[in-house]
Amino acid sequence: MSYITGPEYVRYACTCGLLKSLPNLYFCRHCSQLRCGFCVCPEVDSIFCGKCSENIPSAEAKVKKNKCANCLICPSCQQDLSTRIASKGVVNPDDSKSPAKKTYYLSCYFCGWNSRDVGIPDQTSPTGGWPERENVHSNRLQELLDSYKQIMLSQKQQKENDKKKKFGKFVSYTDRTGITASALRKRIGIPDIPHAMLRKPKLPESSTATTEVEELPDKFFTQEIDLLEVTTIEQRLLQPESQPVTVDKLFPAHKQLSIKKSLRCRHCERNVSKPEYNPNSIKFKIQLFAYYHIPEVRLVKVGDLKRGQPCEIIIKFTNPTQHQTTITILNLDLAEQERYVEEQQMMDISENLEVLSLQFKQPTSLPSLPGSQPSSLLSLPPRQPHLTIKSRKIKQTVNSTVEIPQSVFILPPRDDAAEYDDSNDTHNIEDDSNLVIWRKSNKVCIKLLVNIHEGETIGEEVFCGFTMDHVYTNIIAANFENKQPQKLNHKVRIFLNLGKM
Amino acid sequence: MSRNNIKIFSGALVCEGSKLRGDITVGSGTIIHPSATVIAEAGPIVIGENCLIEEQAKIIHRVPFDQQNKENIPILMIGVHNVFEVDCTVEASKIGNNNVFEPKCFVGSRVTVTNGCTIGAGCHITEEQILNENISICGAKCQMREGLDKPAPQNLQMETLLKMLPNYHYIKKPNMKQQV
Ligand SMILES: [Zn+2]
Ligand SMILES: [Zn+2]
Ligand SMILES: [Zn+2]
Ligand SMILES: [Zn+2]
Repeated sequence: MSYITGPEYVRYACTCGLLKSLPNLYFCRHCSQLRCGFCVCPEVDSIFCGKCSENIPSAEAKVKKNKCANCLICPSCQQDLSTRIASKGVVNPDDSKSPAKKTYYLSCYFCGWNSRDVGIPDQTSPTGGWPERENVHSNRLQELLDSYKQIMLSQKQQKENDKKKKFGKFVSYTDRTGITASALRKRIGIPDIPHAMLRKPKLPESSTATTEVEELPDKFFTQEIDLLEVTTIEQRLLQPESQPVTVDKLFPAHKQLSIKKSLRCRHCERNVSKPEYNPNSIKFKIQLFAYYHIPEVRLVKVGDLKRGQPCEIIIKFTNPTQHQTTITILNLDLAEQERYVEEQQMMDISENLEVLSLQFKQPTSLPSLPGSQPSSLLSLPPRQPHLTIKSRKIKQTVNSTVEIPQSVFILPPRDDAAEYDDSNDTHNIEDDSNLVIWRKSNKVCIKLLVNIHEGETIGEEVFCGFTMDHVYTNIIAANFENKQPQKLNHKVRIFLNLGKM
Repeated sequence: MSRNNIKIFSGALVCEGSKLRGDITVGSGTIIHPSATVIAEAGPIVIGENCLIEEQAKIIHRVPFDQQNKENIPILMIGVHNVFEVDCTVEASKIGNNNVFEPKCFVGSRVTVTNGCTIGAGCHITEEQILNENISICGAKCQMREGLDKPAPQNLQMETLLKMLPNYHYIKKPNMKQQV
């Protein structure tokens, strides 16, 4: 599987026009289309701690700043810290049977850092109660937070008030009579209290700049620097509130939480990948990788790449599905893709126009209903707008043409047992010997001829491409409607990098 | 290099499958796994007591190129309680006590290792330097850190190996009496 990380010689064109290698693609069974990482919408499924494997609700994670309350990481190398036991004499020295007194300290198995290095006292319980370091700026930060929350609140109120004024000219009878509440108060002689929501938010005390700064100590010029005592950038940024300069001020940090994400097809909004909820599980509930649905193409052999003479290439097809498929090699036909993209764009524009005209006809006359008003600041935003994939033109150009074979070939279904079967079962398939040169269980090698275009110079990379048409058996429809599995022809454009001429 | 001159003190456990070349002295209590390599190319190697040399570990006494023509190449002295873990390559010119060389690390011939050092997995140390006591090196960037203590000795593991290895491997017979 070295090609997963290696250079991508074989790339598939996603529906959106981007080229990706097969393991980087998804296949939506509902749309029967390829989807790449940009054609799916990632969502946070669950939040968990990678060390203690505990699921943490998103609201709680927010409060805890996305850190695990129980797990600590090494301030020196950012790996997980483990608790170690140290026995220190006995609980009761007079009693010979008294159990050994156990204390616990934190230690890193990777770099050897331990909590005793920085003078954190050992604890008597293994679960901790590890001292937290007070943030010297916490008061100031809280003050700022509070006042910005107030500003947000008052602005929101302001907006609502503006809205109200727009719709109903008179908010109350006093307005109609021209006497406002505050004028009324003045007339009666009560001190004027502005409306709670209209009150100006209290601004935080602004920090003051100073021109006097501490002199740089002489030791920076006279003493040799000991890099073992100075912290690295990573170590400082791990503790943004204190940013320790020397290693003796390092303090264990809480472990960052991890997420499990699910991916949704942007077209039909169905999941193409959904992990199991349990943090201990690495399995998926839904896992629609193209690798399991689309025949895999690999370059086996490339002949001499010379201009003016056809070059022979051998490529291998592997059927990953449980259903037999028939493969037809067709022209790449990039012009058709271009047309398709343009059509899509036109459709988009006309749709947008329709939407616009609709909005125009129905001005936002709907007054805000009392029930629909946001009851709190935490009210959820409306559902994310339906984001469709915008197709674009395939950017990759080819400088060689594949001679399209006249015949088609069959790929038998995948059979795990066949791996151990040595009897050369060819499924009695009659092949065009000009095309198919080798066949075993679900794998077929075919021979293609490639003509390099005129005008290409030596040393240039040769790209060729073709459209693979394969019969895809969709079992989803069968499950739903209790029908025979639906067979359809799925086309995908495949680009090959044949190397340098 | 003329011929092998291997001295094994009693109490040491040297498996037959290990590769020892040159003038090598193995201290009592030291365990050398099969397929470990010790090559005394430039001069003799003396391995102290209770060292653990695991599979695929390579200890090579090699002289830096610029000192190749010098007379009297010093002996490579390896102290006690050193652990050479799987697939490490150590060419250090001097090794003290209680050091740990983690898997796949590389220590060049210009490095002097004192006591209680830990060379982390995969770390390559090649520049000429003296590693101070209780230095630990780890991570992809070979980040250095000074500890308070030396790494804990692996006594339990050594005891188990002393019992288990003779059951499954041929052992080279010690040819020297207990060190005094
Ligand atoms: Zn895409
Ligand atoms: Zn945790
Ligand atoms: Zn660490
Ligand atoms: Zn879909």
